[in-house]
Amino acid sequence: MSRLPHSPTQRIDRGKELAFSWQGRPMKGFKGDSVATAMFSNGVRIFSRSIKYHRPRGLYSLDGESANTLVNIDGECNVNAETTLLREGMRVKAQNYLGSVERDLLGIFDKFDHFMPAGFYYRKFYKPPFIWPLSVKIIRKLAGTGKIDPNKKWSKNDFQELYLNAEVAVLGGGPAGMKSALVAAEQGLRVVLFEARPWLGGFYDWRTRRYKDSEPLFERGRKLAEKVKRHQNIRVLLHTFVTNLTGDNLITAFQVGDEQAPFVQRYIEIRPTSVVVATGCTERPLIFQNNDRPGVMQATCALRLARTYGVLPGTRAVFSVGDDLGLEAAIDLHDMGLQVAAIADARQNGHDPELIQAVKERGIPLFINWAASSANGNTVVNGAVLGSLSSSESKAFPCDLLVASAGLSPVTAPLSTIGAKFTYDAHTNFFLPTELPPRVFPAGRMLGYTDPASIETSGEVSGLKAAGSCGLKTSAGKAERALQDLPGPKRGCNIVHGPHIGSGDKAFICFDEDGTYKIARQCVEQGLDLPELAKRFGVFGLGPSQGGIPNHNLPLVLGELRGTAMEGLFPTTTRSPFVPVLLATVAGPNYQIFKRTPIHRLQEKPEAIFRRTGAWQRVRYFSNDLTSRDEIMAVRNSVGIIDVSTLGKFRLFGPDALKALQRVYISDMSKVKTGRLKYSAMLNHDGMIVDDGVVTQIGDNDFYFTTSTGRAGNTVEWFRYHTRYENWEFHLVNLTDALAAINLAGPKSREVLSRLTDEDISNEAIPHMGYKELRVAGKIPVRALRVGFVGELSYELHFPASYGESLWNMLFEAGEEFGIRPFGLEAQFTLRLEKGHIIIGQDTEQRVNLLDLGLGFLWDRNDRAGKKIGAPALAFTEGQKGRLKLVGLKTDEPSQTPGDGSVIAKGDEVVGHLCSSRYSPTLRQSIAMALVVEELAQEGTRLNIYQNDHNDPMWYKATVVKMPFYDPQGKRLKE
Amino acid sequence: MGSKRLWKKTRLKKSYDAVMIGGGIHGLAAAYFLARDHGITNVAVIERRYIGFGGSGRNTAIVRANQRTQGNVRLYDEGLKLWATLIRELDFNMMFYNCGNLNTLHSEAAMGAARLAVCTAQLSGVRSELLDRKQCKELIPALNIEDNITYPILGGMYHPPGGIVRHDAVAWALAKGASRYGVHIHQNTEVTNINVEKGKVTGIITNKGTLKSPRVLICAGGYGALLAQMAGIKLPIHPLTIQAMVTQPLKPILNHVISSGAYHVYANQTLKGEIATGAHMDPWPNYTTNTTPYYMKHQAEALTELLPCLKGVKFMRHWAGIADMTPDMAPILHGNDPIEGLYLDVGWGYFGFKSGPITGKYMAEYMAKARRPQILKPFSLRRFEQFRHTGETAGAFSYGPWN
Ligand SMILES: Cc1cc2nc3c(=O)[nH]c(=O)nc-3n(C[C@H](O)[C@H](O)[C@H](O)COP(=O)(O)OP(=O)(O)OC[C@H]3O[C@@H](n4cnc5c(N)ncnc54)[C@H](O)[C@@H]3O)c2cc1C
Repeated sequence: MSRLPHSPTQRIDRGKELAFSWQGRPMKGFKGDSVATAMFSNGVRIFSRSIKYHRPRGLYSLDGESANTLVNIDGECNVNAETTLLREGMRVKAQNYLGSVERDLLGIFDKFDHFMPAGFYYRKFYKPPFIWPLSVKIIRKLAGTGKIDPNKKWSKNDFQELYLNAEVAVLGGGPAGMKSALVAAEQGLRVVLFEARPWLGGFYDWRTRRYKDSEPLFERGRKLAEKVKRHQNIRVLLHTFVTNLTGDNLITAFQVGDEQAPFVQRYIEIRPTSVVVATGCTERPLIFQNNDRPGVMQATCALRLARTYGVLPGTRAVFSVGDDLGLEAAIDLHDMGLQVAAIADARQNGHDPELIQAVKERGIPLFINWAASSANGNTVVNGAVLGSLSSSESKAFPCDLLVASAGLSPVTAPLSTIGAKFTYDAHTNFFLPTELPPRVFPAGRMLGYTDPASIETSGEVSGLKAAGSCGLKTSAGKAERALQDLPGPKRGCNIVHGPHIGSGDKAFICFDEDGTYKIARQCVEQGLDLPELAKRFGVFGLGPSQGGIPNHNLPLVLGELRGTAMEGLFPTTTRSPFVPVLLATVAGPNYQIFKRTPIHRLQEKPEAIFRRTGAWQRVRYFSNDLTSRDEIMAVRNSVGIIDVSTLGKFRLFGPDALKALQRVYISDMSKVKTGRLKYSAMLNHDGMIVDDGVVTQIGDNDFYFTTSTGRAGNTVEWFRYHTRYENWEFHLVNLTDALAAINLAGPKSREVLSRLTDEDISNEAIPHMGYKELRVAGKIPVRALRVGFVGELSYELHFPASYGESLWNMLFEAGEEFGIRPFGLEAQFTLRLEKGHIIIGQDTEQRVNLLDLGLGFLWDRNDRAGKKIGAPALAFTEGQKGRLKLVGLKTDEPSQTPGDGSVIAKGDEVVGHLCSSRYSPTLRQSIAMALVVEELAQEGTRLNIYQNDHNDPMWYKATVVKMPFYDPQGKRLKE
Repeated sequence: MGSKRLWKKTRLKKSYDAVMIGGGIHGLAAAYFLARDHGITNVAVIERRYIGFGGSGRNTAIVRANQRTQGNVRLYDEGLKLWATLIRELDFNMMFYNCGNLNTLHSEAAMGAARLAVCTAQLSGVRSELLDRKQCKELIPALNIEDNITYPILGGMYHPPGGIVRHDAVAWALAKGASRYGVHIHQNTEVTNINVEKGKVTGIITNKGTLKSPRVLICAGGYGALLAQMAGIKLPIHPLTIQAMVTQPLKPILNHVISSGAYHVYANQTLKGEIATGAHMDPWPNYTTNTTPYYMKHQAEALTELLPCLKGVKFMRHWAGIADMTPDMAPILHGNDPIEGLYLDVGWGYFGFKSGPITGKYMAEYMAKARRPQILKPFSLRRFEQFRHTGETAGAFSYGPWN
């Protein structure tokens, strides 16, 4: 299709032709075209089929306001052709039709709409009940628009992130937005300007009318844009869609990269001090019969097609407009060669006389206080009926284009999400912001201004206010006074639908989900007459483009249908994202962030299997043998080492350090001595264990203690929170990341360690539960803790993280002749299970406290002063009946090992479950720790265990036994 | 015109035999069953905004009965079976989409937890299975079972009887049903106080007037603790914001509800074709329903690892509601104590949709007979002061950095 001659308003580059295809048909467009305008210029009129009735849909707007132009591009579904720039080679396809998009066989649904009244989903498909599953299949198939291509490859590198800093953010690069950016930047503030289109200029960009009788608006817009771009304090983000403005001015957005950009899209976040919302207006859709026919379009859409893209939107047109911009579009298009058969203007008065004059001069019939009542044509528009809004008069015109608009609707989404309150304003027919959160300033057309000078000045006012709210001593007073002298908001078009509505053909409030005027009426009749209820029951504004088209019209229509005033009726809350955004974009590079221990690298062997444990990556198995048998046996028979750097490690000191210990630990911590370790637990107020570890004293009022891996992060907060009223003086230092830790365990561990140090590490020098600070290899300062978690002679060595790899290597060398080997979490799990040591979260749960776990001996019952956390709960529950208890058990068949979580059953009643269950290679017997109801906790009790993995039901028999299973006297620990 | 209304428009009376505070599914269900089963029809449901404004219209509509403890499973199982009955009875298609739920497991600990839930369900007569990772992939072909993700999948827990129900429809259907029996539904009516005299509830005060009633049920969802406070009862409830979002509608790609504890994410495809997804609650107690960008980012990161084909899908709507969390993640279903005639149906957190109708049924019985039904025994308010948590989660739940 030929394009109009060059005009300076155009944004296409005729020198750069781009080839693409639509439904396999080769087509050509120009650089600068959107996919939609390129398609349109090639004569495509039907872009899609609607979701419910499968009606043909075409180009209606140009900024992605509806689902009409959702297409599949190169395998990506639901891409809006209006907001996507054309690129060479694009394969564009239609979605959701049967047969062809021009002749969709499912279009038959359009005839059956009386089966689909408001809420029909809830009345159909389920009688008799057996048809429902079948209906589900059909509904699912019919629903949905886009189809995912599961094989499409998405590269993470195509998606980036940008976290910006600025004092002022301006949303919208129209005249008001540009002006506010400039005034704020001139105050020395850093400004970020967001604009969804690939260029600045807003609604100036295509207009040839003059600004105050001087230059044409488009020229003024481009000059302003140059000024903005050149300003060193302003960063302009083009083709950037703001997706949210939320609490305390946090803005999210995404930018679509141009061909040179190193990204396809990038996610943007910024929290400026102040925000100017200059998002302008969209055209308010006029609701009338068949207002969705391809060939019906908004006035700016028609005008921009010609002015921006050089495409005449039709040959013979009828206009139904609601404001001066509509008249201006008709005149300009006429002058560019469009035949204008008639113009209906819904307004009774308030027209710009100059425009009326221009219409008359051109001999175009003008119908005042008229509007479109229907579009004709089965698939595309071939005629229009205009009707009087005050009488029953009407008139039909043949045409291939029906330009229809009910004036403007402000784009209030960002104000809505940031919590502004709106009031209905009968003068403009707008919902205007009347209560604003701090440091948020609306500006421009969205406030009802129509005069360019007013719009720009309003931008200045808001820009200055924004600067002022950043702490500058700027005053907006002068600009405000200037604004007062300029034309204020104009009376808005006071209709949203044409005459003769409610009978005849469908009139759409919402294109995306085929929400019609009739459905809105049915909602009201059924009592679902609030926008929130009608929206859900009738389905308005819940589709792919969300509230855009119906948002402001729905409450206005409901108000009319209810016959009530607009009081209490508002557009429903806007939800982010304002513009649908790809998950790939939001996910961005999705860095895999985890903590590595200082010894991580040395353990990265091909056969090692890592697991995420909290923030860390840790080795669970060092081989593919998931029983970890060899690792276990090495520790039992000789020596093994495990990286336990993730354990929480803390120093606590100061005059009141002991008091703090007494508060959070359940034991009497005054018994903590130098050179000795004390094992204890921290409880919550319910008496449940939240942490366990060892504590030692390393100086006067100076303690060192460990916590479990998962708890390390919360420990400081826990101490502070539970001593918050005390005014105690103590300091708590988290050394977890500063110190590496290795547990050297097994009967040969002393021998191994002795090769690296000359210091006395004999049983006398560091007995079981002893603590000593050593120099290893002459200089590494090591804290040696003789703990017995795995049930053998062992030394937990804590030392500066920077020595992590060195010491690990040295221990390996020293242990070589004993066959030293690393062991992982799985081996440790079994080793400590053999020893009957609990893991918090594995062997404990909400229903059990310290006493239920058999650890009551840790509780210092005599404590009065300490007010130990959890002690009252222990006192209360002691002797309480019906609690779960932790027991040890052995299976009757030694080699049978039920899995963790297997259930202990009495008939079909669950009476307990296995917490940790493993085959013990040391004892050659399956053992487990289980929580059981009290009656079953006696030694010797027989239990039935049920497990069903992968549909292989198993029953096991087991007996409650005493723990520990291994080395009950603890001899091996003490040697 | 009146005859077409789903529920009748009525005048606020001066006195009712029972009043439900909150027009969510719990209040509507309790009213419906009170009228249907116990002949108490002079009942009002008082709603501050509109029917379904709270969690009932904001949840992700997942229903299932594979909880951790048998006490819970029994209640939820009965609840799951009730949908079919209710659809018939109320003559309203609530669109129970029985797609089954797959819970992916990413650690040895999660496998153990799932084994417990599976065995508990099976012993309670509820279908639930433990799957290996290949079986997970067979069920959901789009699933990534490679080892190259943050939390590789080790297995799954599959629960065939679960699925999703159209949440708004439940509220409307119950409103319709209750209204047929004469129950009054008052929207835009806010309860501002609860009247108690000599240890007995006597009625409520609303912004539209004072009502007398010998029975009052607090079923105000996230706001339950505020209402209990009006009667001087302090509940161990933390209100936490919980967010959810949907993508643009797609042709079928996900045929089950999928959830993952390690990734903190769940998703399902609604009958309309949207992928609805949610995750954890915001950890700071508050009464706002703001959405946060970090949350959307989390969802995108998690979903695109688990189901990489979703990279090419777009989020289109993100919202939030309030979850009223108790310390053990089980509800408080309680009455006549310490105030006669005052009943509590609160603490439903993020799991009170699936249980709405069934709980309404038993709370109605509770209110009619002034005796706690057996099945509600585990959910007494007194359990907290007796340190008897229900065991619905393994770990003690934390609501803040101090926990
Ligand atoms: C994002 C999200 C996802 C969820 N996902 C699921 C899920 O998948 N499955 C599931 O089972 N559950 C889910 N839930 C939880 C579930 O939605 C709730 O537990 C459930 O809706 C509670 O219902 P309700 O009737 O008790 O309360 P609500 O539905 O919250 O209703 C309470 C009503 O009380 C009204 N009210 C409050 N104060 C007053 C007052 N002073 N006077 C009068 N009225 C008042 C409110 O306006 C509200 O309408 C989710 C919740 C959220 C927020």
